[in-house]
Amino acid sequence: MNEAKPFGGGVGESLARPDIREKLVGRARYIADLSQPNMLHAAILQSPVAHARINGYDTRAARAVPGVAAVLTGADFPDGRMGAFIKDEHAIAKDKIRYLGEPVAVVAAETEAIARHAAKLIDIDFEELPAVLSPEAAMIDGAPLIHEDLDTYIKIFPAICGRNVASETELAEGDVAAAWAGCDVIVEDDYKTAPQAHLSIEPCGALADIDEAGRVTLWSANQSVFRVQANVCESLKLPMSKLRCLTPKIGAGFGNKMEPHVQPLVVQLALATGRPVKLILNRAEDFETVRARHPFKIRCKTGATNDGTLVAREVEVLLDGGAYSDDSPGVLGYSLLMARGPYRIPNTRCAGKLVYTNKMRFGAFRGFGNPQVSFAGETQIDEIAATLGMDPLELRLKNMAQPGDPWFGGGKVASNGLGECVAKAKAAAKWGAAPGKATSSTVKCGRGVAFAAHISGLLGTGAIVRMLEDGSIVLNTGAVDIGQGSDTVLTQICASALKIPVSQVALASPDTDGSPYNWGTTASRVTYTTGRSVAAAAKTVEAEIKKHAGELLECAPVDLELREGGKVGVKGVPDKEISFLEVSLRAHWAAGGPIVGSDTWVFDQPSVDPKRAIARGLPFPQIGVYSFGCVIVDVAVDTVTGKAEVSEAWAAMDVGRAINPAAVEGQIEGGFVQGMGFALMEELIWDGGRLVNPSMMDYKAPTFRDTPYAIHSIIVEEPEPDGPFGAKGVGEIGLVPVPAAIANAIRDAVGIQPRSLPMTPERNLRAMLERDDAA
Amino acid sequence: MTGHPLTLKVNGQERALSVSATRTLLETLREDLALTGAKRGCNQGVCGACTVLVDGQPVRGCLSLTANCDGAEVTTVEGLADGNVLSTVQQAMADTGAVQCGFCTSGMLISAFAFLRDNSAPTVDDIQHALSGNLCRCSGYRKIVDSILLAAKRVA
Amino acid sequence: MMEPGAEVAFHRPRTVQEALALLSADDGAVCLAGGATLVAMMNADLIAPSGLVSLSGIDVLRTAERLPDGAVRIGAMRHHRQTADETLLEDGQQVVREAARQIANTPVRNMGTIGGSIAFFDPAADYPPALVAADAIVDISGPNGDRAIAAAAFFVDWYETALGAGEMVTGVRLPAAPMGSVGVYHKLARVSGDFATASVALVLAMENHTVSHLAVAVGACAPTPVRRPDIEAEIIGNGLDDAKVDRLADALAERLDPVDDVRASAAYRRLVAPRMVKHALCRAAETLGGRQ
Repeated sequence: MNEAKPFGGGVGESLARPDIREKLVGRARYIADLSQPNMLHAAILQSPVAHARINGYDTRAARAVPGVAAVLTGADFPDGRMGAFIKDEHAIAKDKIRYLGEPVAVVAAETEAIARHAAKLIDIDFEELPAVLSPEAAMIDGAPLIHEDLDTYIKIFPAICGRNVASETELAEGDVAAAWAGCDVIVEDDYKTAPQAHLSIEPCGALADIDEAGRVTLWSANQSVFRVQANVCESLKLPMSKLRCLTPKIGAGFGNKMEPHVQPLVVQLALATGRPVKLILNRAEDFETVRARHPFKIRCKTGATNDGTLVAREVEVLLDGGAYSDDSPGVLGYSLLMARGPYRIPNTRCAGKLVYTNKMRFGAFRGFGNPQVSFAGETQIDEIAATLGMDPLELRLKNMAQPGDPWFGGGKVASNGLGECVAKAKAAAKWGAAPGKATSSTVKCGRGVAFAAHISGLLGTGAIVRMLEDGSIVLNTGAVDIGQGSDTVLTQICASALKIPVSQVALASPDTDGSPYNWGTTASRVTYTTGRSVAAAAKTVEAEIKKHAGELLECAPVDLELREGGKVGVKGVPDKEISFLEVSLRAHWAAGGPIVGSDTWVFDQPSVDPKRAIARGLPFPQIGVYSFGCVIVDVAVDTVTGKAEVSEAWAAMDVGRAINPAAVEGQIEGGFVQGMGFALMEELIWDGGRLVNPSMMDYKAPTFRDTPYAIHSIIVEEPEPDGPFGAKGVGEIGLVPVPAAIANAIRDAVGIQPRSLPMTPERNLRAMLERDDAA
Repeated sequence: MTGHPLTLKVNGQERALSVSATRTLLETLREDLALTGAKRGCNQGVCGACTVLVDGQPVRGCLSLTANCDGAEVTTVEGLADGNVLSTVQQAMADTGAVQCGFCTSGMLISAFAFLRDNSAPTVDDIQHALSGNLCRCSGYRKIVDSILLAAKRVA
Repeated sequence: MMEPGAEVAFHRPRTVQEALALLSADDGAVCLAGGATLVAMMNADLIAPSGLVSLSGIDVLRTAERLPDGAVRIGAMRHHRQTADETLLEDGQQVVREAARQIANTPVRNMGTIGGSIAFFDPAADYPPALVAADAIVDISGPNGDRAIAAAAFFVDWYETALGAGEMVTGVRLPAAPMGSVGVYHKLARVSGDFATASVALVLAMENHTVSHLAVAVGACAPTPVRRPDIEAEIIGNGLDDAKVDRLADALAERLDPVDDVRASAAYRRLVAPRMVKHALCRAAETLGGRQ
C-alpha cells in the first residue's frame, strides 16, 4: 500500500478520537442514555435452577400489576435458533432451562421498578433435572443431555459432535508420537485457567422501537450491528429486512457484546406491545446471563534436545462451553491453532474438546483461547530452559519462527517482526540485569518473558467512500468502535489515502440499512480488514477523481497526482491543478455521476495446507494475518502472604504499521492490565450451578493501585504487505503473553511453578511452602 | 407518591425537586435532570462511573440519597467545562489519548478534578491513591495518570 | 429498587433524642449514616426499610475532640476521610487512622462513617480489629439512656453487635496510648480497597527493649476480631524475642474461626494470619528499635 505522509491527522499521527469532546463533557450517549417517547422498561426473570424441563407458566399475577404492558415467557417466543457456529440457542429459555440464572421470562412496564416487581410474581412450573456441572461429568456415559437435539441443529462448519460434546478439533504436523524418542528433555504437565469476566464498565442493554409498518429499529450495546441483526432475526424468525440495527456509543466490549444478550427480548416485546422497549441489565444480571472467558484444562507436553532445539509439542485441551455454544467452537479451534506458539517445532499435535455444561455460556474474550494455551506453552518453555540450564530468552530465540516460516498448519505468514520485538524489549528491560530491588527483606523479585503471536482477520468486511458535492468525504464501513479507536484509525486511513485532512472526512454510524456488511469488532480485525477495504475504496475514488480531472485538465489520468489538501494536479506542473470541489461538482451535475468508491472483501488464504498438516473439525478454513509480540515482566512476591504484584513491564508488539500510535499503546497497555488481572486475581466461581460472585464487590479486577505505572509499550512495525499502509491488528495480542510472563517471573522470584490461573496469594504461598518442605 | 421537597444547586444552577426517600442522586441526575454524564456501572459504589462532587467532595452518586442532599452543591462532568472551553484536566485527557470507550471518563474526571484542585505537584503514587476508586477496564490506567500529571504541569 | 407504591419515610432529625424517638416509632426504620453500605444494600434489594432516619443533621455526631482524660472521642458521623487525617490521634491511637486510610477508596471514604461502619459490623471491615487493638470504647444511646461498652464486647458475631432495639452508636472513644507507642494496621486484600482477606492491627510500646504495652488483634478471620490479652500479659514486662512473637501468633491462630469465601479459603486464612502477625510485630518492634 502507498506510504502517506502524515498530514492533518493522517496515518502515523496520534490523533484524538473524533468523539473525544462528547466523551469528555458527558454528552456521549450510550444505550442507557437513550430513550424514546412512550417507551416501556423491561426486566428479566431468571431461572432458580441449573437444569430443568419447563412445563408451564402462571403469569396472571404479573399481568395484573398496574403499569405492566406485556409479560412474555418462552412459550410466547418463536422457536428460531441462533448461534455463531452451532445454532443451539433460542431467544429465551424455551421448554428447558439450561443454566441457573438463565432468562425465562421478560416483562415490559411503565417503569423499571414495576417491571422488576412484576417479573418476580411470575410462576414457572418446572421439573428439575440433574445438573451437569463439569465437562468431565458431562462426558460420562449416561450423563444427562443438555441439548437432546444437538444432532438436528444447524452447524456452519463440519462439527464433530455428539451427546454433550459440542465440538472436537485436531490439528497436527509432523509425527509427534515418534518424535518423543528423539528428545533429551520432555516436560509434561496439566494446567488450568479460570473463567474471567469481561467486566466492561457498561453493562449490556438494548432499546427497540417499532413503527406503524411493524419495522423495528434496535439500538444495543454491541460489537457488531450485523451480528445483532442476524441473531435477532434467526431467533425470532423475522425477515432481516424487518429489523434495522443501529449503535449508540459503546462502553467497551472485549468480546462480551459480540454475540447477543437481551436484544431478541426487547425486539419481541416491541412487537408484542407496539411501543419502544428498553432493557438495561443490572451488574449481577450482566455477570450471570451474558458470557465469560472459557475455563481451560490443558495437558501440555514439550520435548527438546540437549542443545535446546524444540522437537515436539503435544497439547490437549478441554473446554467448558457452558449451556450454549456461542463462539466456543471458534475458541477451541483457534486455541489449538495458536498452541504451538511462534516457534519452529516440526512435530506438533494439538487437539481438544468443547463440552456443554449447565452453566452460563462461555464465549469470545480478548485472546479467544490464545491466552490460556500460551500460559501453558510459555511456562513450559521456561521449564525446559531451566532443565537445560539455558537462559529462557536465548532458548526462545534459538527456536523462534523466522520471517518466511509458515504458521502451524501451513498458513502463510507474510510479515514477522518478532525478532525486532525481542531485541527492543530485551534492550529496554536490560534483560540479564537483575530485576528491580526488593522493597523489603520479605519481598522477592523476579523477571519473566513470554512470546506471543495472534491473528487479525476473519470474515467479511466492506467500505464505501463517498464524495459529497463540496469535495469532502463520507466514510461508511459498518465497523463499531467499542472504544478501541477504529473510528479514528479508519478515518486516518481514508484521509491519508486521499491526502486530505481528517477534518474533511465524516464517518457514518454503523447502520444495517446503509452500511456495508462488517462481521464485527473482534478478532483484532478492524484496522486490518476494514482498513484494507477503506484503502481500496479510496483507491477507486482516486481513480474517479483522476478521470474527471483528466477531462477538466485535458490530460490522461495516469499523468495526474493527488496533492495534499484535496487537490489533483498534473505531475511535474505545480500550478496545473484543481480542487476536489470542482471535480465533485462536475461529477454531480455534468458527467459521470456522484463519486462513490466501494470495496468488499473477505480473507481467503487458507490456514491449513493439507500437504503439511492434518485438521479435523476446524471451524474456520481461513482467518487472517499474524502479529507478534514479546513481553518482559518484573514481579515482586511478598513471601509472608504469597501475593505477587507486577512492578514493571515491557511489551513490544509488531503491529505492521501504527496508524495511530497512542491508540496502539492504549491497546497494549489495556491488554496488559486485563491479562494481569486474569493472571493474578480474576476468577468467576461456581458453587454447584450457582455463580457465587456476580458483583463487583466479589469479583475483583485491578485498580490504579494494583497496576504499575511503568508499563512500557514498544511499537514495532514490520509492514504487512496487504495491510492498509502496512497495518495489522493489536487489539488482543497485548493480553496474550501476559499470564505466562508473570508466571515465569514468579518462578524466577520464588522458585515455584504455577500451573493454575489465577496465581492468587494462596496458591503461591502453598507452593512456596511445599517447595520449602521438599528442600 | 408524595415526594420530599429539596433544593440542589447542580452545576451552579438551583433546582427545586421532589423525590421519594429511596431515589438516589444518580437517578435524579440521569432521569430527572437529563444529566446523563454520570453512569450506572454497578449500582454498588465499586466501579466509580457514578462519581460526582457533593459540596466539593467526590462521592458515589449511586449510594447518595437525593433526599439527604438538601441544600447541597452538586457538580457533574457536565459542569467542568466553562462554556466551550474544556477544563485543564479534560483537555489533558484529550491530549494524552487516555479516553477509549469513555464510560469511566465522567467519574474519572470528577475524581481527577477534585484531586488536582487540592494537589499541585502530585506524584504517580499520589494519583494512584486518589483515583483508586475509579475503575477503567480499557486503558490500563497509564495514560490516565499521564493526563493528570500533564494537567498538574499545565496548571502550575 | 423499592417495590412500586411502597412509600419510605425520610427524616432528618437535629438531635440524638429526636433520632431515637423516630427509631422507636417505626421498627422498620433504620439509621442512615453515610449510606455507603445501606444504600448499596437497598440497591441490591437486600433490605427494604420503611423509614430512613438521616443522622447527617446531628452536629454532635460530627465532631472529634480530646476529652479531659486524654482520650480522643470520634463522633459516629465522622467520615473515614476525616478519621484518616485525624491529627488528634497520637502514638498507638494511629492504628485507627491507619485502618481508616485503607478503607475502600476516596469517594467511599468521603461518605462512609465510623458509626455506620461499626454498627453494621462486617467482620472483614477495617475498624473492628483496629478499635479492639486500641482498647476503644463505643458510646451508645437508646430508649433506656446512654451506655458505653468496650469495642471487644461491642462486636458480638457476624454482622451482630451489642446494639439493642432502638439503640444507636453516638461515638467511639480511644484512650490515650502510651507515649512513644506505635500503632500499625496491616491488611491483606485482593485489590486496593477490597475488604480484608486477613488483617492485623497492633499497638506496641517498648521501654529499653522491654515491652510496656502490647495489643494485637486479627481481623477478617473469625466472627469477631481475635485478641489474646492473656498472652499479651505474659509478654508485657519482658523482651520481645522470636519465641514470644511465635507464642502470640500461635495463640491467636488457635482462636481463629475463618470461613471460605470469595476472597480466600479458611485454610489460607489460618495459614497466613499468624505469618502476618509475626511480620507486623517484628516490623513494629524494629521501628521502635527494640528487637532482641
